[in-house]
Amino acid sequence: MVIDFTTAAILAIACWALGSLLDLFGRKSAALKLPAFLLSIGGTFIMAAYIAIYWSYLGRPPLRTLGETRLWYATLIPLAGFLVEYRWKIAWLKYYCMGLAGFFLVINLLHPEVFDKTLMPALQSPWFIPHVVVYLVGYVLLAASSVAALHNVSLQLRHKKNDAGETAAHYLALLGFVLLTFGLIFGALWAKEAWGHYWTWDPKETWAFLSWLAYLGYLHAFRYKIDRSKLQWYLALSFIVLLVCWFGVNYLPSAQNSVHTYTQS
Amino acid sequence: MVVVRRRWFQSPWEFREAFLVTAIAVIAGFIIEYLGAGRGVPSLHQPVNAIALAIFGVAVLGVGLAFRNNAVVQWLGGIPLGLALIFAIAVLSFIGGVLPQGEAAPDSLSALLRINQIFSSWPFALTVLFFLANLGFGLSWKLLPFKMQNLQFILFHAGFWLALACGVFGSSDLQRFVVPIEEGKANNLGYSMNSDVPTKLPFSIYLENFSLEEYPPQLLLYDPQNDKLLVERSQAIIQVRKGVTASWKGVNVNVLDYLSYGLRGADGVPQPADQTAGIPFAKVQVTSNGTSFDTWISTGSPMLKPDAADLGGILLIMVPGSPKAFNSAVSIQGENGEQKTATLGVNQPLSFNGWKLYQMGYDEKMGRWSQLSLIEVIRDPWLPAVYLGLFMIMAGNILFFWNGIKRSEVS
Repeated sequence: MVIDFTTAAILAIACWALGSLLDLFGRKSAALKLPAFLLSIGGTFIMAAYIAIYWSYLGRPPLRTLGETRLWYATLIPLAGFLVEYRWKIAWLKYYCMGLAGFFLVINLLHPEVFDKTLMPALQSPWFIPHVVVYLVGYVLLAASSVAALHNVSLQLRHKKNDAGETAAHYLALLGFVLLTFGLIFGALWAKEAWGHYWTWDPKETWAFLSWLAYLGYLHAFRYKIDRSKLQWYLALSFIVLLVCWFGVNYLPSAQNSVHTYTQS
Repeated sequence: MVVVRRRWFQSPWEFREAFLVTAIAVIAGFIIEYLGAGRGVPSLHQPVNAIALAIFGVAVLGVGLAFRNNAVVQWLGGIPLGLALIFAIAVLSFIGGVLPQGEAAPDSLSALLRINQIFSSWPFALTVLFFLANLGFGLSWKLLPFKMQNLQFILFHAGFWLALACGVFGSSDLQRFVVPIEEGKANNLGYSMNSDVPTKLPFSIYLENFSLEEYPPQLLLYDPQNDKLLVERSQAIIQVRKGVTASWKGVNVNVLDYLSYGLRGADGVPQPADQTAGIPFAKVQVTSNGTSFDTWISTGSPMLKPDAADLGGILLIMVPGSPKAFNSAVSIQGENGEQKTATLGVNQPLSFNGWKLYQMGYDEKMGRWSQLSLIEVIRDPWLPAVYLGLFMIMAGNILFFWNGIKRSEVS
């Protein structure tokens, strides 16, 4: 490969770190804003290019193993931060997003995976990419929502009001929920084609359903006019259910017969 | 400011009453399970389940519309009860998502309460039924009188109602059998999980040919004394082809030649052979501790012993690649003489007279040489209704997404 993962990851993390620092100092001087932004987005571009190269090297979409999904996550989550800044003029979210992206790259650096080019027949389907990509983007938005909610909680503890932050957390959760729904339904339609039934209560399915219910609950509580600031805790913690669904399921006693355990270790 | 605490069941009912009533439903379900020794919900088959669902649906809509101003009915279709029921479904799903589902010792508490098969248990069924009533009441008020601004709500909630209700009520009509067929033979008997007696199917399947394609084989180091593969964690999997090199601590391997399908000739040197008989052969140059030698290694097959390279106690072996694709060329004949010829593959099922046929498996010990194909046949008459529900949810969600973005621009 033209570029190896260690180089790409370190370059991306350096870009995000320098970009964030420049941006923090740039609060006073507008001249630093543009280079800060270019550096930050440059880190994401490096990861996007790395994914493209890795994809062509593997000859299959790098969406099969957990490590591979972390690559996408690290690439996309800073974009969510930039979009929120552009859309709601909230600058702080992107620091968390870049930090989280760097964290996921560090996990991949510490636990290198076996590069395996094979793709089992069940995964060779036109549903593979839409199902996983919709989920990835959904997780990215919900992670950003959770981070925003956590920030809002910390402000509340210091008795500061933060309407814009609560709005951002809400709409990120709303958009994330829509994508979770699509991911769940795409998965059901794919399962019908591959395994014969759209729903079998496979542990991964059950946990995907649980995380969907968590956000369904949030949206109804919000609709019932429960004080939005009280729901920030809920939003911040809901992401834990998603994390169990994403990484934790393999370690649960129920996972013995799951069809979603692709990684051999 | 004086905070007035609401008393229990003081009108209007809200969260406390919702969680209490929901908890009673769940506990009642567990009591029914315990009294029946964990037998689960009896399955209703067509047409009984369809009639029951129709009556239930009409009753919910009728009561919802006729008593829309009644405080109790409003509470029954309200968000507090909905949230309590979502919470209950989440708790039951959590149990099913953490504890292994399936067989359990018959007298164990898990089996008596049917915690080992929670999704077909009374507490789950009662909660879902209660939830469908809650959802149905809420829906009835938005359905009539119809307003365009309620379209997103109606699509999402009606779609969810339809998919959930038809999925749950229709699950007992799902027929699922495995049909084992040998090459050159036909079979019309299907085996199911819960019976040893095969069921006669309304069609027979003739297997013309089963074929399996593998990924290239892999090179590995094997320690025969400890029966262990020596794998380094960050080591890339080495797919064998001509020119590939690999190195482990102190051992360098260079693939000089590779035959995807080969057999040893009279002189012992592998020659290209046809696909059915041939096995992968690789000529490798091994360099270790300053010495170097060439040898042919092979994966072997159910009929042929594998060849490995001995590196002083440790073996360099070649293992067959994982399956890339497997297919069955079949022709199906229905009871009334209708016929269909097709190739089944994973992710490529085939429809025939309301049934769907899936490539499920093969004789894994024989791998590429398997003469046996396992085909799964499934009939689910409720599928169109469930799919209609799922597509309505997606349509509703597109509107939700669109409105979400639009509204946020206003705020």
